Order: sequence, then C-alpha cells, then structure tokens
Amino acid sequence: MGILNKKTWRYIVRNLGQFLAATSVVMGGIVVYIAMSSAYFALGESRDRFYEENNFADYYFQVVRAPENVVKQIEMIDGVGRVTSRIQRDVPILKDNEERATARIVSYNLPLGDVINRFTLQQGRTFEVNQASGPTEVVLDPKYFTANQLAWGDQISVIVDGKEARFTVVGEAISPEFIYAMKDSADILPDPLKFGIFMVEHSQVQQLLAMPGEINQVLIEFAPDADQSRVIDSIKDTLEPFGLLADYPRADQLSHAVLNTELAGLRSVTTVLPLIFLGIAAAIQFVILRRLIKAQRAQIGLMKGLGYHNYLIMLHYISYALAISLAGAVLGIILGVVLSGQMIELYAAYFNLPTGLQGFNQRAIINGLAMCLAIGFIAGLSASRRVVQINPAAAMRPEPPKIGGKSLLEHLPPLWKRLDAGWKMTLRNISRNRSRFVVTLLGVIFSVSLLLISLFTFDAVDYMMDEYFYEGQSYDIAIRFDSLLLERELLNISRLDGVQKVESFMEVPVRIHYGGHTEDEVLLAYGPDLTMKRLETDTGQPIQVPEAGIVLNDRTARKLGIVSGAEVEVETLLHTGPVHRDKVAIVGLTRQLVGAGSYVDLQQANRLLGERNLVSGALLRVESGKMDQVEGELNKMLGINSVLSSQKEIDNFNRNLESMNVSLGIMVLFAALLGFAIVYNSSVMNLAERQREIGSMRVIGYSVGEVSAMLFKENVVHAVMGVALGLPSGLYMAQAYVQSVSTDMYSLPVVIYPRTYVMAAIGTVLFIAAAHLFSVRGIKSMDLVSVLKSPD
Amino acid sequence: MKLQQVSKTYDMGEVKVEALKPSSLDIYAGEMLVILGPSGSGKSTLLNIMGGMDSPTSGQVIFGDQNITSGGEVALTRYRRNEVGFVFQFYNLIPDLTARENIELAAELVKNPLPIDDILEDVGLDERMDHFPSQMSGGEQQRISIARAVVKNPRLLLCDEPTGALDYETGKLILSLLKKINRGRDCTVVLITHNIAIGAMGDRVARMRSGEIVEIAENPTPVSPETIEW
Repeated sequence: MGILNKKTWRYIVRNLGQFLAATSVVMGGIVVYIAMSSAYFALGESRDRFYEENNFADYYFQVVRAPENVVKQIEMIDGVGRVTSRIQRDVPILKDNEERATARIVSYNLPLGDVINRFTLQQGRTFEVNQASGPTEVVLDPKYFTANQLAWGDQISVIVDGKEARFTVVGEAISPEFIYAMKDSADILPDPLKFGIFMVEHSQVQQLLAMPGEINQVLIEFAPDADQSRVIDSIKDTLEPFGLLADYPRADQLSHAVLNTELAGLRSVTTVLPLIFLGIAAAIQFVILRRLIKAQRAQIGLMKGLGYHNYLIMLHYISYALAISLAGAVLGIILGVVLSGQMIELYAAYFNLPTGLQGFNQRAIINGLAMCLAIGFIAGLSASRRVVQINPAAAMRPEPPKIGGKSLLEHLPPLWKRLDAGWKMTLRNISRNRSRFVVTLLGVIFSVSLLLISLFTFDAVDYMMDEYFYEGQSYDIAIRFDSLLLERELLNISRLDGVQKVESFMEVPVRIHYGGHTEDEVLLAYGPDLTMKRLETDTGQPIQVPEAGIVLNDRTARKLGIVSGAEVEVETLLHTGPVHRDKVAIVGLTRQLVGAGSYVDLQQANRLLGERNLVSGALLRVESGKMDQVEGELNKMLGINSVLSSQKEIDNFNRNLESMNVSLGIMVLFAALLGFAIVYNSSVMNLAERQREIGSMRVIGYSVGEVSAMLFKENVVHAVMGVALGLPSGLYMAQAYVQSVSTDMYSLPVVIYPRTYVMAAIGTVLFIAAAHLFSVRGIKSMDLVSVLKSPD
Repeated sequence: MKLQQVSKTYDMGEVKVEALKPSSLDIYAGEMLVILGPSGSGKSTLLNIMGGMDSPTSGQVIFGDQNITSGGEVALTRYRRNEVGFVFQFYNLIPDLTARENIELAAELVKNPLPIDDILEDVGLDERMDHFPSQMSGGEQQRISIARAVVKNPRLLLCDEPTGALDYETGKLILSLLKKINRGRDCTVVLITHNIAIGAMGDRVARMRSGEIVEIAENPTPVSPETIEW
C-alpha cells in the first residue's frame, strides 16, 4: 500500500512537532530502559563472572588466631567444598603528609593457586618472596593506588604493634571481595585516600604480624547440596577454641551487600520508569490517533467509498502509531546505547570491577523495540477500531455538532455564573475531550512526580549530611587507637595546643544472643557527659546513654525479634583477652541514618569486658585555625590507628555526590521533556480542533495574544491539577523507591524540603508555558478565510 | 441495475427520519441518468445506496446478476472497489497526496486500472499531476476527482452534485467531461443535481421530491453540455 504510506509520511512531515513530541516520550522510556538495563546487565554480568572466576567465598569465619593446620580439620567436614585460610588485619599507614590511613593487609600463598577470593592482577606484577630483609612487596587495590598517586616501586610505611614496617608497591589487583572497598559498614562511602587493600605474601604477613604458622580467617565454599547450616555449625565448633570473632555469609559481606543494593536500585528504576513512560506514550498515541481519525472522517469515508477494506484503513492509521513507536525506539536505542556507555563508565569508576565492564544489553534492545511496537500497535488498534463504525455515506457529510453536554461546574450555578466566557469555553472543551484531558493530566502528574523524585534525592542526601555531620556530631576529629587504652592516657591528647575538648568512647564488637538467634553487632560506648555526638532513638528523639542496659539498634532488634524490655546475652569479641558473656537489659531502640551499632554506657562496656576505665578512641573539638596543626601532632603519635577529620569526611562525601548529580540531572531533563511533549501535543490538538472557533474569535476582533491566553487556560488547569496531584504522588513514589532499595546497611530518609516542592511546581509551570508558546505559534499565521470557509 | 422498493430510514434517537420512501428504478447499461430534485429530496440517499455506500432499510439492489444488499460489508466493499466510481460535490481529495497520488490511491485497488497518464490527459491535467489539492482550483480538483473515479474503469459512475461548488464555465467543462466518459468509455453515469437545466443532457431524467421518485422521463434528444445554460 505505497500510496497510503505516502499519505502517512506526508501527514508526519506536516505535523512534525506533534510527531516529535509523541516520539520523544517513547524515546524517553527506551533511553532509560536501555541505559539502565545495560548498566544493570553489565554490572550483574561482570560481577557474576568475576565471582565465578575468582571463587568468591560462600562463608567467612574470623578468629583471633588459629594454627594453620586447622584447615585440614575443616576440609574433612562433610559439605565443605573448598577452604582457604589467610590472615587479614587492618594496620595504620604512615603517609608522607603524615595523615593517617588504614591498610587492610590480606595474605595470599604463593604460588597463587585456584584459591577462594583470589585476586586478578590489573597492572604491574604480583609480589615475590625473596628479600630476607628490606621492604615487603605489596599489590594494592587500584583505587588506593590511583587516589594516592603512587607509582611502581614506591614505598609505603605502616605501623605494626608500634613499629614501622615498609612495603614496596609492585602491582595493582582487584578481588571479588573488594569490588567496593569500604572499611566497614560505619563508613558512608569508600574513601580511597584513607583506606586501601594491601595484598601480601602469606609467610611474610605471618612474620610481619608475629603470627608464625597461624591464620585468622577461614573462607569456605560449600559443596553442592551441602546442608549449609550444619556445615557452619561444625566449622564454628572447630574454630571455637581459637576465639571465633565473627562468621557471616556472602550476603553480609560488605562489598557484596553494597553492590547488591546498587543493583536492586537499578533494577527497580529499570522496570518502573520505562513502563510509566511507555504507558503514557501509548495513551498519547491513542489520543492523537483518535483525533486524527475524527478529523479525517471524510477521508475514511472516501477510502471506503473507493473500496478500501476496513482492515486496510485501520492498518493505515495503526501505521502512524507504529511510526511514532519505531522512531522513538530507534532514537531511544541510539541515545540509550550512548548513555549506557556513560552509565557503565560511571559505575566502573565507582567499583573495582574488571575492565570487561562494558557493552549494551542486546536483549534490552530487542525487548525495547518489541515493547515500543507493541504499544504502538495496541494504541493504534484500539483507536482505529472506530474506523469500522464509520458509515461511508455519513462520513462524507459534515459531522453534526456534538450534543453540548454540561461540564461538571455547570451544575454549580453560583460558581459557574462568575466565570467569564473564556473559562466557560475552556471548561466545556475539557469536558468534551475528557480522555485527552485525563491523558495529558496523567503525563503532567508523572513529570511533576519525576521532577520531585529527582530533586528529592538531593534533599535526602543534604538532610543526611546535615543530620550526620552537622547536627549529629560536633567534633572536629575522631581518633581510634590500635588497642584499648586507659582513659587517663588521653591527657596527652587534651594537652595538645588547639585541642579544646576530648570525649572518650569505646567500640566493642560483640555477638548478641536472643531466643536461640545470634547477630553480630558493635557496641558504641560513650560517657554520660557526651556532648559532641547526638544519640537518637528509633523515632528520632535525642537520648542519653543509660547507666545500665543497652539501647539496641532497631535493625538488629528486628532481626532477632526483640521487643523493648527484653534481656539479651552479650558476648564480647575483642581480638585480645578472654571472651566475656553477660546478660544486659534492652532499655530502648536506636536508628542511625548511616552505619550501625548499639549504645551502652562506657562503664557498662568496661564491666562487660571485666575491665575498668578503658577506651578505644576519642572525639576532639579543635580551636578553629589549628586543625592542621593538631592533625599533624596526632599523626605523629604512635598507638593511634586512625585520625578522621569531620571536614575531610564531608569533602569525600561531596566528591562522591558528583557522579550522582549527572544521573539526577538526566532524570530532571527527562521529566521536563515528558511534560513538555505531552502538553505540547495536547495544545496542538486543541488548536487544530478549535480552528474555526479561533478563526471566529480573530474575525470578531480578538488579538493573537487574547486567543492564546484563552487556549492557555486549559493548560492552567493542567498545571494546577498536575502540581496538586503530582507532588503527593511524587512523595509516594519516593517512598516506594526508598522502600525498594533499602538494605540492612542503609536507608535513605524520605525528606523533601518545602523549597523542593516549590521548585518542582515552578519547573512544571515553566515547561507547560514553553509547550504552550510553541504550540500556539500557528495562530498568527492562520489563514482566517480558508479556516472559516472549509466545509469540515 | 435494478432498485426494487428501496427505502432508507435514519434513526436519530427519538425521531425517525424517512429519507427515502420505497422506490424502484432500473438503470440501463451505458445510459446517462440525471436525477433532479431539491435538497432534502432523497437523491443523495438514493445515490449512496446505488453505490454501496449505504445500505437500504428495506428493498433490494441488484447489479447485473448479484444482489448487493445481501452480501454484507465485505461484499459491499468488493462492489464499490470493482464496479463503482464516485464523484462528489466537494471533491474529497486527500490533501496529503498529489493529484497523481490521489488517482493512484484508487488505481492500487484494482487489477487492471486504466493508465493514469491517459486519464490525466483525458481530464486535461497532465501538467498539474504533481500538485497538491491545495494548489489547485476547484475545477481542477473536480477533474482529479473524476479521474480518480474513472481510473478503476468502473461500470457505474455516480456523481453527487459534481458542479455544485463550481462556477458556470467550469461546471460546463466538468459536465462535458462526464458526457465524454459516458459515451467514450461506455460507462453508465448517474448524475444527481438540483439544477434543472442539466437534465437536458441525460438520456433519462428522474425527478425526486420528499424522498420519492415522482417521475421518470425519457429524453430522446439529449443535448451537448456546451449548449446548456443556467
């Protein structure tokens, strides 16, 4: 049917604006779908392959120290597949600028066999054992290497048990357990300036850490069909005598958990967003086609008169919807593939993943194309079913005017009477074209929501920063010691020039037992006179640490099924000293925006350990202008494991936000594009349908501006209702989104500032006004005579 | 073609409008039949029923040996496609197609259409074939509309007030063209008009009033359109 295709093509060219508007909505859906799902696919694929190739462990056991041959015993346990033992310990790094950083030393046997969690060399070479004395060779994770501007052969000093030890950098490697290299879950984000993975030969680590013939970590892989919980229990029994500190499955492994959160977020965005876009696109196509069929009623009658079958005429109109879909899909795929490259690069920069992280998801492209064509076909089919009902003889006569139904407001005479003629026309027009009005309104609501969600992320992060960094803590520096110290030793620190106040704390890793369940937890112990950190309950109320009892983290409480007032058994898990178990009452619940932990009193913590006056770190308030000086002094002190400055944490945080700005910027762009397209489209249709009306008004003497203002009234209704409904729906969608990506480790607070609502509303008014101005350009050039003369 | 007791009633919700009372009419192959009547007399309804554009409420339409009222939508479409050409008062050209393409729109439907170039030459518009309807005068548009009807080589050409929207000179030109097609291509032409003068060019003239055929008269000496005046 070449001629009919030509007719479609000419119509598209003549109404290009409308075509492009509808196309861009389809395109928006496909771009998001292709880009996000490609990123999701690439990230997931790359992770799975990497896990597979490098034997990512199923389960982890951490002990104080155990003889190497304990592995032999574990290998014998039924259900254990592969076992790897090693040493892992964090030690402070002495940097040239005297700042503190932490090295996580991980030991590997040579030759590097097919062990669990083996690493993949990215650059340089792997370490060797030959030096009797002199620096030990180390392979670093790429992020630490790059962030600290290191070069092959550079020396790095660390402090082990109060003595300096030196490493030579020989290579750069990645491992499945350090894809996201964060020190612990108390950190918000990775800071490669302050934390690095140091991969070192096993015997040299034993020597360095004075652990000859010993290990402190066991990694296992389950045999297929193993009874996993029985295997875990057996291994725990085996390791118990050696001070079992922690055991956790892959799901709780930090890097894995963060990666999973990211994938879950991508996944929910990948499914929901394009569906909404395409749903709206389908609705637009339906509305456009219905109007087109109405406007071309006589042409349809003619085609029928000539002898065209109904299905051919329907196909002709469906082809218009398909053209929109196809154009949108093709543009969307091209842009999506380009964008997916960017997205993947963004992720690659964020995670330590193999460089193979690239490419787009072919299946997504096929799916995207199929989805587009399907919605085009469905919208086209449902709109063009009306063709069948058109009687050719009747279609050739001008359509009788519709029976003028009353609009909703007309049933309220007092209100109706007050409206001027323009508003009356507008409201009647809306009630005559209800489905178009609803579709447009839905589009506006969705773009308002999308605007709000994009902007909300900034608020949530800002709120989190504010709560965490500014409200929640007023200290300037937090220091942590290598081991527990007597509180009076802090005197040295408080005497430093510039230090105004020192408050001590203790962090104790523990295991909490309740009702047959066990969870690992960190006790955060503070003195009763704590001022530099605000502690809050699960409902956000500030609290003081009670003298006795424990304020339990609400996530841990939930996992254990604990209610307030219950009593739990706390088992301390310090690397040195005996294990203590004691019963403690739950006196409240706490929730932290970032990190985790439960609060106890400092003396209570000491009692649990059977000690007195011990601390593990301190919070410092420093005179302004003396930060660098104090930091320098602290960095020189031995026995200090880490020195964290609040300001530097904030800087790191902001650095990490830059990548977020890009993707949120794109979201804002799409939201505005969607709103613009749908309002433009509806205005153009409105204009086309009311040509005679507009012509008459112009002839009577209305100016172009006055006519345009009259048409704008309908868009004012869109804007007002769209904002009124879009803001709450955006809030709801933000909540649903946060719910879908929340994890044990962190959840974004759903905080939207009033300013953001206003911004979303202003944004909406702007794109609606822009769309309106674009669509009414035609009024000026309208040929009044022909408009009024034309029979149809 | 035989119309046997054909009637049409429109159901307009609360009221029923009888546009065509039961009427019978035979149309002979190759003749030119002019149906005269004021507006609202039912002539367009009759024409639409003849052309399969509309179905009668009662009665039968026999074309050749087939009953086109009994076959349903598919049979009607086939009938319109293969046997009928339509010419309308307001031309009804597709604005997005050029003159030639408007003709192709019809030509594509049949197996052996007449050569488009010949038709364009017949209607005298071979020079304007790549123009869009909006670039043409009413007379030119009507000539394209005739060409579109003729290209299918139909046995029956139905013309609904073909000169209604045209000026005197152009109207006469169109009538001559229709006469030429009627005589030259041996195509039966039914022409409806309210213009009594045009009746003089028909082989037969039927008069309608208030939905009824009130008179059918033979015209042994049809005149050439050029001599008609109104």
